[in-house]
Amino acid sequence: MAITFKQVDFTYQPGTPFETKALTDINVTIPTGSYTALIGHTGSGKSTLLQHLNALLKPTKGTVTIGKRVITPETSNKDLKRLRQHVGIVFQFPESQLFEETVAKDIAFGPQNFGKSEAEAMQIAEQMLALVGLDRALLTRSPFDLSGGQMRRVAIAGVLAMQPDVLVLDEPTAGLDPQGRLEMMEMFARLRHERDLTVVLVTHQMDDVANYADNVIVMDRGQVVKTGTPREIFKDPQWLVKHQLGLPKTTAFAHELQAAGWQFKQLPLTEDELAEEIAAQLPPQAFGGDPAK
Amino acid sequence: MMSKLIFGRFIPGNSVIHRMDPRAKLLLSFYFIGIIFIANNWPTYVVLFAFTFAAIALSGVKWSFFINGVKPLIWLILFTVILQVLFSSGGGQVYWKWGIITISQFGLINGVYIFCRFVLIIFMSTLLTLTTPPLELSDAIEYILMPLKAVRFPVYEVALMLSIALRFVPTLMDETEKIMNAQRARGVDFGEGNIFQQMRAVVPLLIPLFVSSFNRAEDLATAMEARGYQGGEGRSKFRVLKWHNRDTWATVIFVILTGVLVYLRA
Repeated sequence: MAITFKQVDFTYQPGTPFETKALTDINVTIPTGSYTALIGHTGSGKSTLLQHLNALLKPTKGTVTIGKRVITPETSNKDLKRLRQHVGIVFQFPESQLFEETVAKDIAFGPQNFGKSEAEAMQIAEQMLALVGLDRALLTRSPFDLSGGQMRRVAIAGVLAMQPDVLVLDEPTAGLDPQGRLEMMEMFARLRHERDLTVVLVTHQMDDVANYADNVIVMDRGQVVKTGTPREIFKDPQWLVKHQLGLPKTTAFAHELQAAGWQFKQLPLTEDELAEEIAAQLPPQAFGGDPAK
Repeated sequence: MMSKLIFGRFIPGNSVIHRMDPRAKLLLSFYFIGIIFIANNWPTYVVLFAFTFAAIALSGVKWSFFINGVKPLIWLILFTVILQVLFSSGGGQVYWKWGIITISQFGLINGVYIFCRFVLIIFMSTLLTLTTPPLELSDAIEYILMPLKAVRFPVYEVALMLSIALRFVPTLMDETEKIMNAQRARGVDFGEGNIFQQMRAVVPLLIPLFVSSFNRAEDLATAMEARGYQGGEGRSKFRVLKWHNRDTWATVIFVILTGVLVYLRA
């Protein structure tokens, strides 16, 4: 399901003395099946944009097209529910949205809201718990007894249980340990292929952008300043600094090598790419012997 | 939604009114509400309005804030005024009568007076909250409650609770908004359907809010203890309230105002 923004403006509390403009003239498309990373400095309007993706906020000007639905400033709040089933949002620190007595009931809450029977919803809950890598023994436990990382997984399972076409993730790994972060990111990448998801990731981790995304939207002060593939975005370090952004570790290292005289066919984004580029340029002796053997 | 509420907000500024001692502001505001009831004829109300408008002009805060402050209460005000107009009996010329409902000159004038009183009280209290940071206000309340220590009233504890509560109002509002959005994304309709459906929809909002408040309270208590907090007694103060000449002058002006009102009173 593609999501298209056309000349979207958004202002908080319009017409009051506390009026603040958060988005200005946004024209951007999130293509079906893409893994889009939304990056930008804190306060650049990322989270405001994100809430437009399932009509939690409606534009004050312009239109947002989500699949076939067109959201304009005049769209009524009725009947947005069906739309929200298609676009699942995992908010920052989603563990704070848990409330049911058991993990199973909490995961089943979303599907039940969208009309699934209790039995069906419970079945989905069981599948989802396995999908996020938790033991099914947890199903009958209270979500408040779990560890922070487990709560996070349960909350994400609750959103996946709605079986959305578009999965929006707002810093899903913030506050997790390195192992948990890697597992979580791998899980999203796997899900994307298994379920043909369109993924939108809001993050400050440039390594994740380089490793997983195929489309990047850069925001600054409520405007989209650049869109493109990660390679296009990360090729100009000075430009990134100007917009208060950084480089992935690998790319930063590659830029340093370039400054020292190395040449790359294409800018390496991941460790594997960098390793291949370097290996191709090393003399055969460097591998500790005669390559002919 | 809730962020539209103007009442209780603070607008940073550097006017004479902003720089006044919060104790003076708090006490004088209460005093002003008291002396509003001295007024009972046109000249006294004119003086009170002139005084209020002068104070607002001095604060440099935009007029729209005050108008917006009155807006949420307008129905309550109109309700009171209409009751007063319809049910005052006797006095002056009677324009219309039907059963117990009477519209008389006396009733109409009283209605207008009550309207003026409401507006004056709201303007003055809005001026107080718009020009005083909440923490200063809680300092002032602590100071004013001090005499109650004589009757074993836990002044420090109450002041601490007050300032913590004030500090966490915006945080909790943000949190509420966030959880509401998260649950909406999971298919909850807030404010739709019949009363029972609406009440049921609040559960997924309230439980996470309570849970996060408990967690926050525990974290805050731990952080306070780790920083050596052992109770209110024997602490020094970082924000020391200072009584300036302008506060004395303000008091003097209020005394003169009282004199004028008593003199003009019918």
